[in-house]
Amino acid sequence: MRRYLRILALFARLEAQFELAYRTNFFFDVLQQIVITATSLGAVFILFSYTDTMNGWTLPAMIVLVGVFYIVQGVGDLVFMPSAQQLIEHVRLGTLDFVLLKPVDAQFFVSLRRIKFTAIAEIALGFGIVIVGFLRLGTLDVVAALLFVLTLACGLVLVYVLLLVLGTLAFWFVRVENLLVVYEAFTDAARFPIDIYPFWLRFAMSSVVPIGVAVTVPAQAVAGRLDLIGILVLFAATIAAAVFGRWFWKTGLRSYTGASA
Amino acid sequence: MIRIYRALLLAQLQVAAQYRLSMFLYLLFSIMRPVIFLAAWSAVAIARGGSVGGFTPADFAAYYVILTVVGHLVAAWNQYDFEFQVRMGQISPRLVRPLHPIHYAIAENMIWKSFTIVGIVPVLAIIIVTYGVQFRFEPWQIALFVPSLVLAAALQFFMSWCIATTAFWTTRTHAVSTLFDRTAFIFAGQIAPLSLLPGVLQQIAYVLPFGYIYGVPTDILRGGHDLPTSIVLIAGQTIWVVVAFVASRIVWSYGVRAYTAVGA
Repeated sequence: MRRYLRILALFARLEAQFELAYRTNFFFDVLQQIVITATSLGAVFILFSYTDTMNGWTLPAMIVLVGVFYIVQGVGDLVFMPSAQQLIEHVRLGTLDFVLLKPVDAQFFVSLRRIKFTAIAEIALGFGIVIVGFLRLGTLDVVAALLFVLTLACGLVLVYVLLLVLGTLAFWFVRVENLLVVYEAFTDAARFPIDIYPFWLRFAMSSVVPIGVAVTVPAQAVAGRLDLIGILVLFAATIAAAVFGRWFWKTGLRSYTGASA
Repeated sequence: MIRIYRALLLAQLQVAAQYRLSMFLYLLFSIMRPVIFLAAWSAVAIARGGSVGGFTPADFAAYYVILTVVGHLVAAWNQYDFEFQVRMGQISPRLVRPLHPIHYAIAENMIWKSFTIVGIVPVLAIIIVTYGVQFRFEPWQIALFVPSLVLAAALQFFMSWCIATTAFWTTRTHAVSTLFDRTAFIFAGQIAPLSLLPGVLQQIAYVLPFGYIYGVPTDILRGGHDLPTSIVLIAGQTIWVVVAFVASRIVWSYGVRAYTAVGA
C-alpha cells in the first residue's frame, strides 16, 4: 500500500513537470473553465427565475448539484479520461507490453498513470459551488456532510469503472476511442438531476452510464432528500461495479496479444 | 465552378462513407443538449402548473425538436479542423492550390450534415412520442423558414471561418472557440427559447449574432413570431451574414500573410 502511494506521488510529480512546461496553456485552460462554470450557473439561474422548485429541487440544492457535476466531471478529466485514452493507445500500439512487464499491478498503472492537472481548477470550482449551495441551504449538519462524501466517493468509483470497462474493450475492438464520446455526451446530461428526464434517459444514466447517479445522489444527500434504501443500493452497486470492473479487466487482459511483436 | 463542386462533393462523400460509426457517435452531442434543456424546462412548466411564458411541455418539445434539426443543419466546425491543419502544417499544400481552401470546407460541411441528419431522426421521433408534440405549420412559416435556415447556416459558417482563421496567428484557437461556444450557449436559444430569456439578456440576444443562427429560424418555423416580425428578423440575419462574410474575407487576407507554416 505504502509503495503504491509512493508510486502515485511519482506519477503526479512527472505529470506536474510536464504541465509546467506549458504555463500559458494552463492559464488559458483555467480561464476557460471559469467561463464554462459561470455560464452553467447562469443557465440554472435563468431557469429558476421562473420558479422556486424544479421537480422538488430548490435553487440551493440545484447549485449543490452543479458543483457536484463539476467535481465528478473534473475527477474524470483529471485521471480517468486521460488514463483510458492512454490505455486504448497502449493496446493499439502494443506498448502495453512495457506496462505488463513492470512490477506493479497493471490495472493500477493504467488507471492512474496519466494525470491532467488543469482539471484541478474544475474540481476546485466544483467544491466552491457546493460550499456556496451548502451555505444557502442553511442545513449544515455532520450527517449530511458525511453522506455527501460517501456517496460522492461511490459515484466516482462508478465513473471510474465505466471508463475502465470502455478502455478495456480495446482488447477486443482496438479502436474504441470513439466510445469515450458516449461517456462525454451522457456526462453533459448529468448537469441536471436525473429525475427530470424521460424514463429511457433516466434508465440509461443510472445503469449503463451511471454518471447521472454519480452526480445526483451526492446532491440529494446534501439536500436531505436521500433515503436509507437509496444509500444501501448505491453501496451495493458500487461494490458490484468495482468487482465487475476488476474481473472485466482481467478477462480483457487475457485476450491481449500485443501488436508490436 | 459547378464541375469543381461536383468533384469536391463526391470526394467528401467517399470520406464520409469511411467513418460512418464515429459520425453517428458524435451525433449524440447534437441530440443530448436539447434533450437536457427540454427536460429542465418541462419540469419548470410543470412546477408552475402547466406552462411558463406561454410554453407547455409539448411546446418546449416542439421547440427543442426543431432546434435540434436547425442546430444540426447550421453546424460548422471550421475552427477545430482548421486549427489542426495549421498546427500540423497540412494547410500549406492547400494554400498553393488554385482553389481557395474555403471551398473544401464548404463541400465537407454540406456532405457531412446531409449524411448524418438520418441519425437524429429516430431520437427526435422518441422525443415527439414521449412529450406528445404536435406541429402546426402555416405555409408562410415554412416558406420563411427555408431562407432563414440558409442564412443561419451561412452566418454560422462564416463566423466559424473567422475564428478558424485566427489560427494563422495563434496556432491554437481553443480558448477563443470556447468563449464563443459559451456565449452562444447563453444567447443562441439553446438554454432557453429567446422569448424566455429574462429582461436585458433578451435584448442582448437580439443584438448578438448567435440568436440569428439557432433561435430565430426555430421560432419562425414553430410559429413563435407573426409575419412582420419574422421578416424583420430575416433582415437581421441578412445583415449579420454580410458582416460575417466581409469579416471573414478581411481576417483571411491578413491571416494568410501572417502564416509562417508550422511543421514545414
